[in-house]
This record gives sequence, structure tokens and C-alpha cells, in this order.
Amino acid sequence: MKKVVRPVLAVSLALLLPLFAWAGGQKEGAASSAASATGGPTKIVLWDFLSGGDGVRWTQILNDFNASQNKLVVDHTTLTWGDPFYTKVHTAVIAGQTPDVMTYHLSHFPAGIIAGDLRPLTEAELQSVGLSYSDFNPVLVKRSLEISKAYGKAGDLYGVPLDAHTFVLYYNKDILKQAGLLGADGNPTGLTGVDSFTAALQKIKSITGGTPLGMSSANDPASVWRMWYTLYEQLGGGELAVGGKLNLDKIDTVGKKALQTMVDWAQAGLLTPNISYAADVALFTSGKTAFMANGNWEVPTMVDAQKKGTLPFSYGVMAFPQLFGNRDTWADSHNISVPNNTKNPISADMLKNVLTLIAYIEHHAIVWAGGGHLPAYLPVLNGTELANMVPNNEYSVQAAKDATFEPVSPVFGVGDPAYDAVGNFLTPALTGQLSVSDAIAKFKAQLQSYAQ
Amino acid sequence: MTPNVEIADPAPRAPARRAGRKIQSVSWRTIVLLVAPFTIVYLVFLIYPTLRVIELSFTNSDIAGVGHFIGGRNYQLLMKDPLFWASLWHTIYFIILTVVPNTLVGLVFGLMVVRLKRLRNTALALFFLPYILPVSVVTQIWLWVLDPNFGIINFLTRLKINWFSEAAWAMPAVAFVTIWWTVGFNVLLFIAGLEAIPREYYEAAALDGAGGGFRSFLYITWPLLWPVTSLVLLLQLIAQWQIFNQVYLLTAGGPYNSTIVVLQYMYVRAFQQQQGGYASAISVVLFVIILITSLVYLRFVRLRGNT
Repeated sequence: MKKVVRPVLAVSLALLLPLFAWAGGQKEGAASSAASATGGPTKIVLWDFLSGGDGVRWTQILNDFNASQNKLVVDHTTLTWGDPFYTKVHTAVIAGQTPDVMTYHLSHFPAGIIAGDLRPLTEAELQSVGLSYSDFNPVLVKRSLEISKAYGKAGDLYGVPLDAHTFVLYYNKDILKQAGLLGADGNPTGLTGVDSFTAALQKIKSITGGTPLGMSSANDPASVWRMWYTLYEQLGGGELAVGGKLNLDKIDTVGKKALQTMVDWAQAGLLTPNISYAADVALFTSGKTAFMANGNWEVPTMVDAQKKGTLPFSYGVMAFPQLFGNRDTWADSHNISVPNNTKNPISADMLKNVLTLIAYIEHHAIVWAGGGHLPAYLPVLNGTELANMVPNNEYSVQAAKDATFEPVSPVFGVGDPAYDAVGNFLTPALTGQLSVSDAIAKFKAQLQSYAQ
Repeated sequence: MTPNVEIADPAPRAPARRAGRKIQSVSWRTIVLLVAPFTIVYLVFLIYPTLRVIELSFTNSDIAGVGHFIGGRNYQLLMKDPLFWASLWHTIYFIILTVVPNTLVGLVFGLMVVRLKRLRNTALALFFLPYILPVSVVTQIWLWVLDPNFGIINFLTRLKINWFSEAAWAMPAVAFVTIWWTVGFNVLLFIAGLEAIPREYYEAAALDGAGGGFRSFLYITWPLLWPVTSLVLLLQLIAQWQIFNQVYLLTAGGPYNSTIVVLQYMYVRAFQQQQGGYASAISVVLFVIILITSLVYLRFVRLRGNT
């Protein structure tokens, strides 16, 4: 019988061994990696969610960093954008097995601070690598500190700003020229004010016969939200959350008007009512739509298409036009943050390493700008390289001024539930399935239910 | 457990008696060793998480399981939560749209494939192919096929239906995609069942003048196939209660929550609103519902089998 027992035991152990090995490996890999005992370069574990066109540029900066010196080496993992990323970060913090550093959305700071997932970075810590709060786009630092204050952490900065990214208008120069909407300087004219803008769309429609303004909405609440929020802010809607509490009073009036504007366009055949993100980009790059309202992260798509010669027209990018009382435009910001690992706190050495990496990334943010983003680091934002970068120089300066960030509330932002409410109630209004008043009333009720 | 010295005894004198003793004496140690690997995995990855979910459902934990005991408050809130009841109804609607249709389609295809002589394996492979695709691929395919502006279906039929974003069509469209995706597995089970029915019955029926295909189907195939049919129905029932992926990827619960299902609502609560306790309560309720439906179904099937 022993003959039988032994192999069985051996096999079961063999089956279980990888499990233990894996469990052990987890600890070793994810925890604040102990300074290299072997004498090789120290590993910095980094988690990010950058998998698009900008992810390529991100990886390039990290590879350049690894090649630039031989003491540190970044080991980065790209995880799924949105709530999967933030759920994983939170569980990692609870388990005490966090990365050393990670990317983080400004719009998720409220939820992150409440959850206790973020470790503040002091001015003194930044100064140890020659950085300072004042080196960054003041709008970003200001908003970040406002969020900290709203959650009782006044003065704490929970991440070093990497960029601002915003909603821009891509346009087809050939079509605009035909419609007489291109000025002598080659820039669009007659797009300011909602009436002129609508008239321009109508004129284009009469020429091309197709829908002039592309905006993705099918399975994509984020784009609908960005457009609605931009119009809401331009109409003077103001903050949707004050001091961490929702402030939805103006949704019934201003919010309704913003949605009505979009629905009017959709019903008049001026705005694509129900297309997916990929279709939106395809419609614009194939020359079918004259405009595409989208994030600045599609800039690399345009640059690459033009380089390859697959773009059948010449294009331009402008900051989102002023349609109402002001120029406010939706924006968010990527930050570089340190997880708040209380079980295995980050060592002073590792913090220094992480700050060294952050400083390198900021100094080389021009690579990041290739992803269409507006660098947060002022020397790069105001530098000559960006001023000469096409098409970034067509929108960056204006867009940086117009940037209006997500409401300060864990209900809004990347990975947060407001997107569900948008997809559920605002999108059906665009397709005519819900009346505008119905949509707004239900949208408001759902936002309130999230805050309970 | 005492160490066993009998095992290696080379010269048994009273085989019958010793055999009995031998089984008993080796059994404990062997049983434990044989069962241990599975039991450990089962306890650690199935029983423990199940118990933890039940425990969490009585707390106000966030998603990482840190919180305080709050008694049955989650369940009280749940009973008064209109969105939970809506999600329950949508799940039942989805079950109605899939369980019986999927079984019937599987049966029809099974009957067709089993009659083939030459291309049988090819036909079976074609039916089974969608089943091996990951759900994300399946939903991407159908998002394009049913795309309201560029999809081939709307192009060919000249319809203007927004399949996944009109309340009337969204759930039927999700159900259709689910059937397309999973019917291959049912076809496989039905073919196995059909092949297990002895040829002789059909020959005897033919001699007795049963002749027509439908009568032999009704009196031979259907009753003898019932064990397989009931198994398919039960597997479907359990699987469809747990509908999540397709809804999450195709409609995200919209438009205006008209396709939100129980597990998706659980996901929203747990991972978007960080309410682990409340989400656990939803899971426990779903667990109980599936348990009850399965028991009721088994009882119903057993009654059918006896009569």
C-alpha cells in the first residue's frame, strides 16, 4: 500500500507546490521591493493603466529611464483602466502588497483619499529631487489641494501631476474650407456661440449630406459625459459637488439646457446619435464627419495616419469652442502617486528612488506630450519644443486655460459610478428614447442615490 | 490514527478475514491522503470564500472586507431597493428568453447533426466553434454585426434598430447572442444522448408501422432523451441565473437600467460604489434563489421521471 500512498502524496504535493511558490512570489514581487541584496540595480515596481497610444510613449520614457542609469530599474505592469485598476490598488493597500509607485487620476483622488489608498508627497520630499509644487501647472496643483481640503487633508498633495487631458475638437480642413469656415490664417472661424456653431454644422450638412459632428456614445458614457459637462460648465452650472457633498440644484435648469442642446443637434442630424468609440474615430479619419469631439489622446492617431499617408484630408485640432458664457471645458489629469502602504511602509531609500523616477519622467514630459496630453511640468509646457510640436501647438495653450476638472466627489471621475448614470439616462435622450426632462430627472435621482 | 503495520505483511493466512481488516486498517490514512489535495483546495477556494461572503453580508464593509457588524441591515435595505427588484426581474426575463429556447435550438440542431453521415464532425465543429470563443470576442463580434449604423444586419434588412440601446430590443439581443454562443455545448450533449438510444427501438417501431419521423420522435426519442434534456435545462437554469458578462459588455445595464441583472448590480455596488457588505448580501440572496430553483426543478424532474 505504501507504494500507492507515496506517489499520491508526491503528486498532490507537486500540484500544491506551485501554489505556495506563487503565494510566496506574490509577496516578494509586489511588496516594497527590498533594496537589492545581490548588488544589481534596485527594482521599482510601478503599476499603470496606460494601454492606448499614450501607453507606447509612457513605456518609452520608462525604458529611457532604465537605460539612462544603472542603479534603478523600473518594473512596470499595465492593468485595466477604470474601476478594475482602482479596486486592485485598494486591495493591494489593505493586503500591504502595493507597488512602489503608480499612475492615478485626479478625478479619483476623492475616492482614493476616502479609501486611504494614497500617501501624500510633501514639498520637502519633492525638493529632495529638485522639484517643487510651483513647477507644475498651478491649475492642477490648486485642484489637487482643493480635493485634499474637502476630505480633511488640507495641504497634502496626493500625487505629482503628470498632465492635463481635455476635450478638444478635431476638424477636417478640406470640408471647413468648402463651407467657408476657414479663416485667412487657416484656423476655423464662425464656431463661437451655440447659434453660430449650429449654423456651421447645418451648412456643412448641406454640403456633405452626412452628419457633421462626431461624438461616440454607444457603450461609451464617458464621451457623453465630457460633452454634457463641458456645456453645463460653459452655461455657468458651476461645481456639481461642494465640500465633498453633491450640489445638483442647477441640474434641472442648466443641466437640462446642456442636454437639450445635444439632443437638438442629434435630432437635426447634426450629431452622431449612437456610434461606438471606434466608429467615431473611423468616421472622422475617413473624412465622413467634419468634426470629432473627443479627448486629446487621439492626437497620436491623427499624427500617425498623416505620416503613413492614410489620411485623405488635412486636419486640425482646436480647443473646444466657446458655445456659451465661458470657455470651461472638461478635463482630467494623470498623476504619479505613492500607495499608502501602512503594513509595509515605503522605506526612505525607496521613496528617494521613486522621486528620482518621477523627476526623470517630468523632465522628459515632452515625450508624453506626443500622446496629445498637456504636460503639467511648466518648463515643458512653456518650452520651445512643445511650441513647435504639431498639432499640439494648435490647442495646448488655450486648452490648458479652459481645463475644468471633474466634480470633487467620489461619485464622479474615472472608476466611479456617475458614468453608469450617464449611460443609463443621458445617452437614451440622444437616441430619442427618453425625453430630456425625464432623462435629467432620472439622472439626478441616480446621482443622489450614489451619494447615500 | 494509529500507524498501520499490517500493510506490508507478505503471507496472509486467512484471506477473507484479513481482507476485511486490511481495508479497514489502511482506509483512514489512505482516505485522508487521497482526499486531502482536493479537500484543501475546495475548503480554501470555495467553502471559505462562501462563508466569508455570508459573514460580510452582515457588515458595512468596503470592497476589501474592512467594516463593522451591522446585523441584518443590508438585507432590510435590499428588500426595499427598487433597483434590486428590477435587476431580479430582468434576470428572470433573461432566463425566460434563453433557457427553453436554447435547449430547443440545441435539440433541433442535435437531431439534424445526428442524421448526417459524412460531414457530421464538421457540422458539429461548426456548431461548437462559438462556444470556445471568449465572451469578450463574442460580444465584440455581435456589437459590430448589430451596430446600428454600420452593422451587416441593419444594412441587409434596412432596419434602423439600435439593438443594444433600445429598451425593447436590448435584452432579446443579449439573449440571442448568448444562445448563439452557448448552443454548441447543448448540441454536443444532445448528440451524446441521441446516440445512446438503441437503434432497435426505431426498427421495432417501424415494423409496428410507426413510420413517420414525428411519431417515433414523440414516443421514442423524446422520452428516452428526457434525462439529457432535463440535465441541459438544469445546467442552463443555473448558468443563466449568473448572467453577467454579456450584459456588462453589450449594454452595461442600459438603456435606463432596463437590462441591469442581479450579478451586474452586485458588481456595481461592490466595485464602483465600494459597498462590499451590501454586494455580499445581494450575492447571498442570489445564492439562495439558485439553490431553491435548482431543488424545485430537481423535484419536478424526479416526478416527471416517475410517471
